Amino acid sequence: MRKDLRERLKNEWVFCDGGMGTILQSKGLKGGELPETWNLSRPDDILELHCDYLKAGATIFNTNTFGANRLKYPDNLKEIVEAAVALTQKARTLCGREEDAYIALDIGPTGKLLEPLGDLPFETAVSIFSEVIQIGVAAGVDLILIETMSDSYEAKAAVLAAKENCDLPVLITTIYDEKGKLLTGGTVASTVTMLEGLGVDALGVNCGLGPKQMMPIIRDLTAIATVPVIVNPNAGLPRNENGATVFDVGPEEFATYMEDIADLGVHILGGCCGTTPEHIRQTIKQVTTHQLVTLDNPRVARISSYCEALEIGPHPLIVGERINPTGKKVFKQALRDQNFEYILSEGLRQEESGAHILDVNVGLPEIDEPYMMEEVVTRLQSITSLPLQIDTTDIEAMERGLRYYNGKALINSVNGKQENMDAVFPLVQKYGGVVIALALDEDGIPESSDGRIAIAKKIYAEAAKYGIPQTDIVVDGLCMTISSDTNSANVTLDTIRRIRDELHGNSILGVSNISFGLPHREIINSFFYTMAMQNGLSLAIINPGNEPMMRAYYGFMALTNQDPQCGAYIDRYAQVPADSMAAITTNGVGKATTGDLGLIPSIEKGMKESAVAAVTEELKQRDPLAIINEDMIPALDIVGKGFEKGTVFLPQLLMSAEAAKAAFDVIKDAMKDTKQESKGKVILATVKGDIHDIGKNIVKVLLDNYGFEVIDLGKDVPPEVIVDTAINQNVELVGLSALMTTTVVSMEETIQLLKEKKPGTKTVVGGAVMTQEYADSIGADCYAKDAMATVNYANSILCPNSL
Amino acid sequence: MDTPFPYGISDTEIYRYLGYRGQTPEPPVLEKIQICKKRLMESVTPKAIWKYYDIHWCADGSFLVEDIPIHSKNLSRNLKDCHMICFLAVTLGPAPDRFIQKAEITAMSDAVIYQAISAAMIESYCNHINQVIKDEMMQRGLFTRPRFSPGYGDFPLEFQKTLGQCLQMSKEIGVTLTDSLLMMPSKSVTAVIGIGTTNPNCTMAGCEVCNKSRTCLYRRTPEGE
Repeated sequence: MRKDLRERLKNEWVFCDGGMGTILQSKGLKGGELPETWNLSRPDDILELHCDYLKAGATIFNTNTFGANRLKYPDNLKEIVEAAVALTQKARTLCGREEDAYIALDIGPTGKLLEPLGDLPFETAVSIFSEVIQIGVAAGVDLILIETMSDSYEAKAAVLAAKENCDLPVLITTIYDEKGKLLTGGTVASTVTMLEGLGVDALGVNCGLGPKQMMPIIRDLTAIATVPVIVNPNAGLPRNENGATVFDVGPEEFATYMEDIADLGVHILGGCCGTTPEHIRQTIKQVTTHQLVTLDNPRVARISSYCEALEIGPHPLIVGERINPTGKKVFKQALRDQNFEYILSEGLRQEESGAHILDVNVGLPEIDEPYMMEEVVTRLQSITSLPLQIDTTDIEAMERGLRYYNGKALINSVNGKQENMDAVFPLVQKYGGVVIALALDEDGIPESSDGRIAIAKKIYAEAAKYGIPQTDIVVDGLCMTISSDTNSANVTLDTIRRIRDELHGNSILGVSNISFGLPHREIINSFFYTMAMQNGLSLAIINPGNEPMMRAYYGFMALTNQDPQCGAYIDRYAQVPADSMAAITTNGVGKATTGDLGLIPSIEKGMKESAVAAVTEELKQRDPLAIINEDMIPALDIVGKGFEKGTVFLPQLLMSAEAAKAAFDVIKDAMKDTKQESKGKVILATVKGDIHDIGKNIVKVLLDNYGFEVIDLGKDVPPEVIVDTAINQNVELVGLSALMTTTVVSMEETIQLLKEKKPGTKTVVGGAVMTQEYADSIGADCYAKDAMATVNYANSILCPNSL
Repeated sequence: MDTPFPYGISDTEIYRYLGYRGQTPEPPVLEKIQICKKRLMESVTPKAIWKYYDIHWCADGSFLVEDIPIHSKNLSRNLKDCHMICFLAVTLGPAPDRFIQKAEITAMSDAVIYQAISAAMIESYCNHINQVIKDEMMQRGLFTRPRFSPGYGDFPLEFQKTLGQCLQMSKEIGVTLTDSLLMMPSKSVTAVIGIGTTNPNCTMAGCEVCNKSRTCLYRRTPEGE
């Protein structure tokens, strides 16, 4: 009976096999040939390769299934994988290693990039991996080895697939470049944080580099990993020799490096490209002369985004609270309208203002919260590098947020009620996360710090039953307004201090609750915030756009020796006028120019702040509609005409549009009680198969400006969706964008379907390869050579009298 | 770690991609260009992979590489007298796409500027790698032809799949193909380069090999035109 591999991984030498693809190439595999086909066409070669590694002493050896998935083998995946497993089983019997060799189902990346950067949906990736894993597990593998992952999101999909389809050990190695980054930007710390959260049995690094170049990465790994580390390097860096790829590090040199690696605390060792059975044999021989070192790193509270890890505890951190509809009319409307642009811009603005983590709360009774959580999390995580806090009381929404989050999230929240813990902790256990624990339970909120500390202890204990360590819990000391109980701040501060001193845990507060019902709340808020930090507050949920709060933060950091040379403080405040209480934010790059320019020149020159200042001034004395018709439209026309003549260029056109939009927003705010008229609805979409949408987005900015209501369907949009939207919302004009000749086909399909299902709808097309002839040949009503041409056409169709 | 983009980017190329035909942008735009350029320089992760293969010519003018038949009259003409071919893929990594996506939310004018700069950067990086290949071959007494990409003329875009497989593009440099054969990250280029024993004195690439070059808004023009 084979010993439990999980036990062996903890404190025994475990040796993986070495290169597979490079050896098959030396046996004659062609460049364009799929290696896994050899399981069927040349089984003896595969068998021989397995036997060579087993004879060399490998403990874990891989099925020849690195690229086996339904994308590459749509017709015979089962046959390929079953043959691969059968060959490993045969090899193990032949070599007499039944007792101590383990068959790893080898899982490589899909070769596709996941949404939203690429076109593979996360759930499709999970299902692609699940399919292979189900076949492999049924065929009798002993473990799942996921390797060569260069995208953390895809790695997460693969680990989830493994966890959801078997109870076998799951090992994973990722591929880092010489700067220690995954191809999609992840660091060692961010990757380890996410993977440990997902509960892998061991993790590490393979491929890409030789053992020597891997050293800095291995040091990073062994410095923080709390599960065993795997190292499978290439035999040095690949070199091109007369057209062939060669690896230079021979077995003895390789093994010598592996000795150093083992001494760092790595006892699961093998090879990747260019390594041979001899490399493994030599490694085993040399490494086993060393004393085995196991890692003993402490667990810490760490969360991550796709590209960075953030430790909670060493310094106070700010959680930006603005992605939350509570008390915000505009935000609520944005949720109802699925206006993601508004929601995302709230996130980016907080990042600019200095938030460290972004809270995501999209709960509104009348919307589908799980869907909205998934959408906002996936969209936001692709444009911000900050970790996210999944904030919801809806368990389904919480699961969706955690599942699609590319990292280890902060979760808001669990509380001391048994029912709540029973629902939340299984999710934390499955997906990983640091969870905020509210110090309340079935009996409500305790009035004393004693009561709150007792609940915190209860929650820690319950979490431990799920294997969730205390470090993954952040206790919310609960903040209630002093306007109803003037002692409440004292109790909260005492609770925070005791969490630090007695529980040695981390704490969080929704700081601004303290002043509810009082005038000039920022006075109370910012003083309370300072006091809370002094009492050990780890995380503060605040509005980073609120300058008094940020002053408290930067002041506290400088005063408590947490800001080296007061650098951050000076950076932020050296240039700020002494009496300015305005929030420090910028939108877009470049200087925020202000001055006394009038509205028309501000728009013409594309100066946003100046346009806002000018329109605010104008509104004091003039009718909003008059400002629009007499100033703004003429200013936009000057720029638009200049663009058509070739005297104004695209960046300037867009800057003017942005300045105008900022001014419009001020006017809309002033007119919010009068119904605003749109010039008509226009659908915009980048057609199916095409994922470049910058052109479409330029058009959108300008149509917005000219008063059209734009229904933006995004990119890669199927014809049916466009047609259905046109029918359901009764839209008369559809704008389509395509970048490549291959996707113009989808454009033509969309136009045909529109003509069939909603005759009379006008179509305007544009894109890099589009020409008038091309547009005519696919039956479009108008070819727009640029964004202004689309605006002109929209005017001619939807409001012919305005011209 | 300080890792600037190691190849010079010509500002005039950036202006050209932004549609400024031989003119210099306004000061606020120039300022944006400099800021965006610095951010991109610090963030891109340029990577390249290339491999050489023998060409086996067939009687009908088509040819085989690694037993894979390639039918393209335009490419066959480009490869005339060549006995070898180089498959090449280069990328700036995902950073430009992230900057562009983010700017599409905050300010579209930044998005078009990131787009133009990264277009100039990938072109420049591709030329740099092309030169490395040219030099490698020169040392062996061989000469390269202009690079030619899938989708040019009658060279089918489908060939992207073959390049992806032969070069192990996704694993080696992170370049993946969508179902419609677009590359992601989007600031990536694939090409083939013919290699022969004769010296045709070719330019490496550019507008000269594109069949839209006469009507293209962004075509290279002589100075001052």
